[in-house]
Amino acid sequence: MRQNDRIKRSLIRELVEENLEAIERRPKGSLRRHRRSRKIRLTWWLLSGIVGMTVGALFFFLVLDTGGRLYRQWLGNGPETTQAADDGSVIDTLGEAVLPAGFTRPGPLEPDVIPLAVQLIAIDAGHGGDEEGTITESGLVEKELTLDIAKRLKRLLESASYSVTMTRTRDEAVQLKERSRRANEDRADLFLSIHVNWIGNRTVRGVETYFLGPTDDPHLRELAALENRDSGYSVADYRRLLDTIYTDAKSVESRRLATAVQRSLLVSLRRTTPEISNRGVKCAPFVVLVATEMPAILAEVSCLSNEHEARLLARPAYRQQIARALFEGIRDYCAPPESADSGGGKGKES
Amino acid sequence: MSNEEGDLYIGIDLGTSRSAIATSRGQRHVVESYVGWPLDMVARKVIKRDVLIGREALDNRMMLDLHRPLERGLLKEGSEKDQAAVRQLMSHLLDLAGVREARENGSRVRAVVGVPAEALRVNKEHLREALQGLVDGLIIVSEPFAVAYGLETLLHALVIDVGAGTTDFCMMKGHYPTDEDQRTLPNAGDWVDEQLARLLSERKTEVNVSIHTVRRWKEAWSFVGEQSKPLKVTVPVGGKPTEIDITEEMRLACEGLIAPVAETMIDLVAASETEYQEKVRQNIILAGGSSAIRGFAKRLEEELTEYGGGKIKVVDDPVFAGCDGGLALATDAPGADWEKLSS
Repeated sequence: MRQNDRIKRSLIRELVEENLEAIERRPKGSLRRHRRSRKIRLTWWLLSGIVGMTVGALFFFLVLDTGGRLYRQWLGNGPETTQAADDGSVIDTLGEAVLPAGFTRPGPLEPDVIPLAVQLIAIDAGHGGDEEGTITESGLVEKELTLDIAKRLKRLLESASYSVTMTRTRDEAVQLKERSRRANEDRADLFLSIHVNWIGNRTVRGVETYFLGPTDDPHLRELAALENRDSGYSVADYRRLLDTIYTDAKSVESRRLATAVQRSLLVSLRRTTPEISNRGVKCAPFVVLVATEMPAILAEVSCLSNEHEARLLARPAYRQQIARALFEGIRDYCAPPESADSGGGKGKES
Repeated sequence: MSNEEGDLYIGIDLGTSRSAIATSRGQRHVVESYVGWPLDMVARKVIKRDVLIGREALDNRMMLDLHRPLERGLLKEGSEKDQAAVRQLMSHLLDLAGVREARENGSRVRAVVGVPAEALRVNKEHLREALQGLVDGLIIVSEPFAVAYGLETLLHALVIDVGAGTTDFCMMKGHYPTDEDQRTLPNAGDWVDEQLARLLSERKTEVNVSIHTVRRWKEAWSFVGEQSKPLKVTVPVGGKPTEIDITEEMRLACEGLIAPVAETMIDLVAASETEYQEKVRQNIILAGGSSAIRGFAKRLEEELTEYGGGKIKVVDDPVFAGCDGGLALATDAPGADWEKLSS
């Protein structure tokens, strides 16, 4: 009974929080966030710049003085911190969730407060070459459909002034590792892998979008914050922190991208095919998502196993509709909330 | 907890087909979710009202611009008329429950409104705008979550809300459900109506009936599995009342729901943590108007057999389960939270 009461209190708290977010028109999960006005964005850019400069300065000191003396003098933090910096214990300690004395544990990172422009989008047409993907009785091949949709999406994105890189542009086999490497090497801002589903129950016709799930290590999330920049971290700690911030941001952003794309696919495809089911936004450890260094999703844009879907997929107009839905999902993700419906435009406000 | 003297708490189920209200002062009402405005001056003169709601609207549909605002579980994008229809529907429900008088007498009215999960995902802001100012505090919640809360099935449970526009699934894991815990299928009551209408038009070519008539038949006699007595209805054929047998068509239309619902149910159970799957299978709740399809819960249980079996409980009162849950949420929410939510 007490457990039920506790759950009820928690549920109501979360429900009220969600409704307050809606009232203030803030994005989901951002209750404590500031509203994303241009002014605050600029402030955060300034703060980010200061943090970056601090990291740069620390790195500079450490490289110049390999024994770390100048660095420690500059910090002037006494023997405990110095010892920690010398033997790397701070790094280990951070990993075990035990923090040094006088150290403030950071709060969770809120990636939305550090808006980043999306300029280059990596499109990955699933399968290719010998790896044909699924094939229907009528001869439709997944690798050809994904490449066709990918090319259509590329044209749409480019006409909206985005830059696009593709992991393959012809019928060739590209290893998953290689796909991620190409996107990473090109320094893409987003990664979208396009696939067409095959489901055992052939009556099913739906869309689903995957992202790499968030880390289940709560400590990593806690570390990813900015408030602790004056606490005496070593450069290595800072680098680790920033890596963690990035990891967390990638995961959150991937989920947000997946949600935007899934929503767009559903809204768009249901206009012509109301039966399309929402198979949801899901976490999955696809290699291609694990190895990419940017927000990455994998969209199953249709079901080749379903006879009606297969018939539709054979039509260029339907493939164009899918490409447009993907484009609109990406555009919605990139657009700041207050202008999400205004169409067009390039990237996030910076 | 927060039920302060003089305040009025209400739970509302704003459904595609029916909308219901329950208040902390014991009022309970249900209306069909139809809103209609007179088509022209003549219609206005005949009807003598600016707007008709519920059954009255349906009965006078020939003279009305008729709206069912949450068709397919969604407020149509950019449709001001549907937004206005939601507001009219809500106002009507509030009037039935005496909310206007309560507010005039100084009571604060705090409402939890349950809507189809898809509408909550897509139309949250439009819904909030449509309901602005009608009450003093407003929480919008997905319908299956409200049902789960009302039944206190908060942990290791799956709620399947088979409504008219959509079938919503909600896994209850002791925390507020995330997107991964919820699914929505377009296969629901309206879909059955469409299937039944299509089958009748294909098989009984001489019969010409409206979707409203088909819906009425479904609500009265829907079933899956065996049917001991044939379903016979009387319809005009060439102007002459004629009895036709619709047993097979009704069975086929209703059984079409089983596969998608069962598959999603099994998918969600399988996606829950292995150690709790047995508990979830034993704790599946079937809610929504279409849960009344005779034999439906049993057939879903049969689908679970090869996965270790399970138990599916149909809510006692599908019409009011959602708004009762909303009312429970409204009364349990702390006063401080309501202050923050005051419109």
